[in-house]
Amino acid sequence: MKIEKIVRSIGSEFLDEGVEELLHRSRDRVDNELKHIRRPEAAVGIVKSPLGDLLVAMSARGIVLNHYLLDASDLAGTIAKLRLALDPVEDPRTIKEVGEEVRRYLAGEPKALRQSIDLTLAASPFQQKVLRKLQEIPRGAVVSYQALGAAAGAPRGARPVGNALHNNPVPIYVPCHRVISSDGRIGGYGGGASRKLQLLRCEGFTLDDADVRLPDKVVWGHTGTRIFCRGNCRTTARVNRARIMFVANPEEARRAGMRPCKICRPA
Amino acid sequence: MAHEKLQLPLPFERIMERHEREIMGYLLRVSGDRDDAADLFQETWLRAYRAYPRLQPDSDVRPWLYAIAVNLCRNRARDGARRTRVIVADDEALPAAERIARDDGSLNENEGYAAVHMRELISGLPAKQREALHLRYFAGLNYGEIATAMDCSEQGARANVSQAVRKLKSMW
Repeated sequence: MKIEKIVRSIGSEFLDEGVEELLHRSRDRVDNELKHIRRPEAAVGIVKSPLGDLLVAMSARGIVLNHYLLDASDLAGTIAKLRLALDPVEDPRTIKEVGEEVRRYLAGEPKALRQSIDLTLAASPFQQKVLRKLQEIPRGAVVSYQALGAAAGAPRGARPVGNALHNNPVPIYVPCHRVISSDGRIGGYGGGASRKLQLLRCEGFTLDDADVRLPDKVVWGHTGTRIFCRGNCRTTARVNRARIMFVANPEEARRAGMRPCKICRPA
Repeated sequence: MAHEKLQLPLPFERIMERHEREIMGYLLRVSGDRDDAADLFQETWLRAYRAYPRLQPDSDVRPWLYAIAVNLCRNRARDGARRTRVIVADDEALPAAERIARDDGSLNENEGYAAVHMRELISGLPAKQREALHLRYFAGLNYGEIATAMDCSEQGARANVSQAVRKLKSMW
C-alpha cells in the first residue's frame, strides 16, 4: 500500500457517527467557557451628519465610539481597535439616532445629545479621568488644556491632556472641542479645525471660519467661586489660570450657574 | 464624503460553525484519543476567540485555526512527555499498538495494524515534519496554507512533507 494512503487512513475510524456526539458535547463546553471571556457586543454602523460621516458604536451602556471618518483607510483601523474590546455587530437602526442627535445639536438644540457615554475605549486611567472632567465643561464654555490638566490632577499636564483628547473615542458627546490653548488660540482638533469651529459656533461663540483665536468679548468664569468677569477685570490679573473657563457670553455663564463680578459688571 | 459599505469581519460564531467539524476531525486523528481531542478542541476555540480581534480581516481563517491547533498539540505532547518521564503509567508504557488494539476491538485487523504501526513511525519523526505531514494528510491543507499555519515558507512546508514521506517509506 502506498505510504500516503496509509497516512490518510490513520484515525479515519474516528470519523464516524460518534464524532457528532463528541462535537455536540464539546461545543457545549466551549460555549460555557466562552461565556466567561466573551467581549461585550456593540452595535456598529456609519451615520451621516452635518460634520461628515461618523463611525458609531453603541454598547449596552451607551455610545462607546463616535469616529470622524476622514479617509477610507481610517475605517478598517478603527474597527480593528474597536474589536480588541468589543464584538461589533452591524446594526444601523440602533445607531441611527446618533446622526439625528448630532444634526439637531448643530441646528442649535442644546439638549439634543441624549446618549449616555461609555468610556470603555479610553486607553488609560488618566485618559478616563480627563474625559470625565471634560464632561463637566458646560455648553457655551471652553477651558485650556492646562486648566483641564489641573482639574484631572496633572497641573503641568497640558500635553498629556492634548494626547488624551486627540484619542477621544467619543468626540462631540465628550466635548473635546471645548478645549483650547491657554493663550486663547482655538488650537487643533482630531476631526479638523473647521469642525471645531462649527461646533463652538453652534454653542454660542461668534467665530468665523478664518478665526484662530477666541473672540475678545468672551467672559472669564472662575470654576471655584462661580463668578464671571470681563477679560480685562482687575481681579483676573491675580487669578489662577487653571481655574478659569472662557464662556461665550454672559447669558451662557448665567445658564452655567455663575454670577457676574460686582467690580467689572459684565452685562 | 461617500464611504464603501461597512464591512465587519465574520462573527466568531459563524467561524466556529464553519470549521468546528474539521478541527475536531483533525484533533481526533492527531491525538488518537477522544478525551484528548475534546480538551484540545475546547482550548483551540477559546484561544481562537481571544486572538480573533488580532487576526487581519483579509487573512485566511483556516490556516490560522490550524496554527492554533498545531501549537496546542505540540504543547500537549511536550507536557505529556514531561509527565511520563516522571511517572510511567502502566497504560502509557505499553506500545501504542497494543493499547489501541485493547481499546477498540472493532478495528479491522490488517488495516488497523498498518495504521497503528504508521502512527508509531510518525511519532518518531521530527516535530516539524510530523506537523507538516499531519496538516497535509489529516487536514488536507495545501502547501501555501501549511506555510501560513507553521509560519514558514511554502518551499519549507513542501520539503518537510516530502522528507517525512521519504523517511516513512524507508522505515516501512
